[in-house]
Amino acid sequence: MSTLRREAGLALAIARKDALAELRGRHATVSTLFFAAVVLLLFGFALGPDSARLAAAAPGFLWLAVVFAGILAVNRLHLLETDDGALEQLALYPVARRVIYAGKAIGGFAVMLVLGVVVLGAVGVLFSVDIAAAWLPLLVTVVLGAVGIAAVGTFYAGVTVRLRAREVMLPLLMLPVLAPLLLGAVRATVAALAGDPFGELGAWLQLLVAFDMIMVVAGAATYGFLLED
Amino acid sequence: MKTRILGFVALTAVAAMTVIGLFVVPADLNQGDAQRIMYPHVASAWLAYLSFGVTAASGILWLWKRDLRFDAVALAGAEIGVMFTAFAIWGGMMWGRPIWGVFWQWEDPRLTTTALLLALYVGYLLLRHLTDDPERRATRAAIVGVVAAVDIPIVHFSVEWWRGLHQTATIGSPDRVLNPAAPMVFVGTLLGMLGAFTLAWGYLMIRRYQLARADVQREEAARLDRLMSARTAQPAR
Amino acid sequence: MPQTTIYVSPRSLGAHDTRPPAVVTADLARLFAGTPALAGVSLRVEAGRTIALLGDNGAGKTTLLRLLATAIRPTYGTAQVDGLDLDRQADLVRERVAYLSHATGLYDDLSARENLAFAAHMLGTPDRATRVERALGDVGLADRAETRVRDFSAGMRKRLALGRILLGQASLVLLDEPLAALDEDGMVLVEQLLAAWREVGVTVLIASHATERLEPYVDGRVLLERGLVAEVSGTGVSSTLPTPASASERRQAVATR
Repeated sequence: MSTLRREAGLALAIARKDALAELRGRHATVSTLFFAAVVLLLFGFALGPDSARLAAAAPGFLWLAVVFAGILAVNRLHLLETDDGALEQLALYPVARRVIYAGKAIGGFAVMLVLGVVVLGAVGVLFSVDIAAAWLPLLVTVVLGAVGIAAVGTFYAGVTVRLRAREVMLPLLMLPVLAPLLLGAVRATVAALAGDPFGELGAWLQLLVAFDMIMVVAGAATYGFLLED
Repeated sequence: MKTRILGFVALTAVAAMTVIGLFVVPADLNQGDAQRIMYPHVASAWLAYLSFGVTAASGILWLWKRDLRFDAVALAGAEIGVMFTAFAIWGGMMWGRPIWGVFWQWEDPRLTTTALLLALYVGYLLLRHLTDDPERRATRAAIVGVVAAVDIPIVHFSVEWWRGLHQTATIGSPDRVLNPAAPMVFVGTLLGMLGAFTLAWGYLMIRRYQLARADVQREEAARLDRLMSARTAQPAR
Repeated sequence: MPQTTIYVSPRSLGAHDTRPPAVVTADLARLFAGTPALAGVSLRVEAGRTIALLGDNGAGKTTLLRLLATAIRPTYGTAQVDGLDLDRQADLVRERVAYLSHATGLYDDLSARENLAFAAHMLGTPDRATRVERALGDVGLADRAETRVRDFSAGMRKRLALGRILLGQASLVLLDEPLAALDEDGMVLVEQLLAAWREVGVTVLIASHATERLEPYVDGRVLLERGLVAEVSGTGVSSTLPTPASASERRQAVATR
């Protein structure tokens, strides 16, 4: 079996293990979803009640809610490994460090994807935005955004897992790095919803792809150093 | 001794360029005297980016060679970089107020990128501050520094696109100073300021590195001391 | 417990005398926040031997095992496992070493079988499904295979962790307090494992307080006190004092930087 296939299998095994543990014990995905919903509600309270203004700001709300909930989600995924020293054991397997990173990030991606889709639907309902018309470009944007947030979030969750003041350091480190992803995702969402009048959708999606690729490579290359003490 | 000379030369150069920039060079036709702040502003911004490049590169060298002196360089770069970044942002805002009418313009790629640069490296310094073990601190800082450095070009391009797609006509643009078609006297002053600031940067970096290296050596000596006293406390086998 | 043969499958190991020493350390030291947990240990452990690490809490037994397991990096000094450098060839060392620590590293929400299946995948165990069942049987947890580890007692968790070691092909096994929390059957299991490992030529390092029980299986003993080797006895292991020369050499090196 080629190395790539073997490593992909190992990464998926890690992701599957996380999914299993998550589904069985923690109910964290559900609470993360509800958190995102609450954030949306608060946006409505803070910037409403003018429906036109809310509809115009909806793409921003969508991605802010996803990013904030995403911070909680990646944090949880790393907390899974605090089960009786599981992270240390994980680091001791003869498995390449980038594979461990990939496994954690795939799990993060799955959660972020679910989050993105659900929040997209919620935004459509709460802020009277027609998402059905542009569902395909919106879905693509959500997928690309999920990859980026998972890649960056997994990395920083690893950095902060044993750090003092973790709760504030994780968002503080993660959010500035995510700024271009936030910008690109919101712009792409705006363009998609408006039917792409200026033809800019492609450019923003390309930005997201570039961001994703760069961050995945950077994360995979450096995550391993976190596992050695 | 050599560093002291460098410091003196740098101080003289900065003072000279300040005088030139404020009084000797003619004011810009459109932007008036406000344009003068561009000289130190652009110079600071350039040195901010250079500092963080040094931080990222030193971090990688630490990961490779495991010599804490590289980490000392990285620390110096980050602190000096934050300083120049803050100054660059301040300069940008001071320029913006008379020209744009506002202190902040979201679509100016340089301003927003520099603001994010500040956020990234303040986070970097906080991370360092929260880690006690020297090797662990160096490793964490190195990888965070690399990811931050990689992020900066992406931020810059994304904001440029943001501006470009909206095509807001800005009456005053910082590009006037950087435009190669600009009058020689402007370009010359800018290069002079850049040179002076770089000398100052070099001096500050060397001094900060020396301080950081002294810390490293002191910690190392303390560790060895504790190690040796632990050994001598034992009866010989 | 029925006397079945436990399935251990290390890499093909040669005869005792043809193999390089399993462990060689030179002034190995590790500090935590400035305090030396290990202050300079120079040991040599011959291949295929079972060595007991003795000493009080805080003597450095766990730190030494963790260093050899590549869970932590050394602060000073060097070490080789099977001739491989601990610092620079850590990933190769990991393929050869198995470590039972105080923490079991098991996932609470997964069943015993799922935990081992995951471990088998990570370890690259051939013929995964069969080996997992075999390991479960060998450690006496076959009837609890479906139970979530969350509901396991400390002794059962330890057994499962030992089962995980059986899935690998380690030539060096590091056990930190293996008898703690085990009942009589559990202790018999550990004895059987030690016998099985000796027969195949696996090197075993055991950190333990209570060693009377394991005496018949142990070749040599190392007593650690406050991060240093205080005494060595038996066969298969030898030690040298941390040399003063190397200490002052280092001092020199720091002063001249």
